Amino acid sequence: MRDRFEVVRPIAAIALAAVFFFPVYVVVMGMLKPPEEIQSSPLGLPVPPTGENFSAVLGREDGLYWSALLNSVQITVLSVLALTLLSAMLAHYLVRSKARWTRPALLMLLAGLMIPPAVILQPVTQVLGAAGLMNSVAGVVCANVAYYLPFGVFVFSGFIGTVPVEMEEAASIDGASRFRMFWQVVFPTLRPAAASVMIFLGVWVWNDFLTPLVVLGPESGTTVTVGVYRSVGEYSTNFGTLYAFSFLASLPVLLFFVALQKQFVAGLTAGSVK
Amino acid sequence: MLRPRSRPRNRERLSILRPARDFSGFALPGLFLYGVLVLVPIGWTVVLGFTDRNRFDPQTSWVGLDQFSHLLQDDQFWLVLKNTFVVTAIVVIVPNALGLAIALLLDRETRLYRLLRSVFFTPVILSGIVVSVIWQSVLRPDGVLNRVLADAGVESAPGWLSDPGIALFSISGIICWQMLGFCVVVYLAGLNGVPRELYEAAIVDGAGWWRRFRSVTWPMIASAVTINTVMLLISGFKVYEHILVLTNGGPGRNTTASIAFDVIEKGVRGDRIGFAAAEATIMLAVIVVLSGVVLRLLQRREVHL
Repeated sequence: MRDRFEVVRPIAAIALAAVFFFPVYVVVMGMLKPPEEIQSSPLGLPVPPTGENFSAVLGREDGLYWSALLNSVQITVLSVLALTLLSAMLAHYLVRSKARWTRPALLMLLAGLMIPPAVILQPVTQVLGAAGLMNSVAGVVCANVAYYLPFGVFVFSGFIGTVPVEMEEAASIDGASRFRMFWQVVFPTLRPAAASVMIFLGVWVWNDFLTPLVVLGPESGTTVTVGVYRSVGEYSTNFGTLYAFSFLASLPVLLFFVALQKQFVAGLTAGSVK
Repeated sequence: MLRPRSRPRNRERLSILRPARDFSGFALPGLFLYGVLVLVPIGWTVVLGFTDRNRFDPQTSWVGLDQFSHLLQDDQFWLVLKNTFVVTAIVVIVPNALGLAIALLLDRETRLYRLLRSVFFTPVILSGIVVSVIWQSVLRPDGVLNRVLADAGVESAPGWLSDPGIALFSISGIICWQMLGFCVVVYLAGLNGVPRELYEAAIVDGAGWWRRFRSVTWPMIASAVTINTVMLLISGFKVYEHILVLTNGGPGRNTTASIAFDVIEKGVRGDRIGFAAAEATIMLAVIVVLSGVVLRLLQRREVHL
């Protein structure tokens, strides 16, 4: 019985994965076909493949894809760097400090993991507006840092608990300044946690829709994710171009995933097995 | 590091942090942003729920519990709340169950199974917008699925996104598709953490496949069940983008609108901000209570080795 299943296992696994992946296949083939062919044979292979959908997206007169890409890169890099630094320092303080308020503060932060963005969206725009940060990349970065801070603190605080405190004590006897002590002694030990924070937040921030849509607004351009949404209406008759745009918008995270696959899994594992 | 150890080490005096000075450097920047852009907005939303704020009317006044009582009498609110619960229930159950089955299927360490793992994980890293574009190509009236059905001789193919009786289930299914890989990977990690000796002992005791699953695997992956359930609960409850792209709340009025969708629509229109804030407050209360209860129930059955 057991052996018989071992024969079926790869077949069942491949068949399931093929069914699962079918919609992605349709879109990937579609982006390489001219519009008539998407209509006439949606399932067939694109022979010969055409690059016209890609050149239509990349060569748009308003340069939407390129300006959106620039915004996405800026927002993602700045948000992830700020989040990693701030959440590591905050988690370190909350875990190591002996003050009585740090425990409730930590719980309050972790509760923030489940706040739906819809609940705070309206007031967030008011706060950002009052600070003069609406319609700017800086505004999106601030909103992201605040919203995703609980995730960073969650991962780092779990990890800091496993790092022996003696090392920090030794460094502070040596008279290192607080910040030097943190960056040279503590932070290097947090590298695995930092990797999973950066990976997950990188993907989430890149894919974020609501915050850049509302905070950047139409005047200050879009991110690539919002750009895909804007082109859904625009290309309603030209699916090939829409598929090409979607692919180009996802390409950076896909490459990121392929490059860091092991760390992705390690990050999930660290969170789930503990 | 290599100083003589003759200096007395007084653990009591040696504090890792100097509270006042380190607070401003380490804790304040993060706490400030979180306070100003998360905590204050939550409080603000709750307060707005007791007013009649409206962007086109500068006069805002207190109306007490009026907005909440209007909400409770509003059929549309109950419809949207019901839709949210339907989506959330499907999204919590289906990827959890299927994800575990697929994890058991893929629980082998060869290149093939690692590749298939990535196949299932790919939608997890795509944005909700892109996932919606992908599924629109399959589910729209002249989309791939209906053409396949037509070729197979089905005469009146269903309107996957345009039939009010089906559209909500299509959207739930799409979110399940997107979240499935997350569950698979978390379950694989959980399965990986089960000590092999337990299985060997169970086999020696003559336990069959089902018995081994029930008595060894299932209790040992309890923390993976917790992670997945809470993650799915939160994602199901805040569903918005898929609805926006695929149905825009329709067909008809609010047949697929979720509470997050409804709150955002009202907020963007701006004519009933107080009303939307009361709705958001209820949404917040429901998700906090629900995840608190689920977390407590699931953590109770986690085993600690």
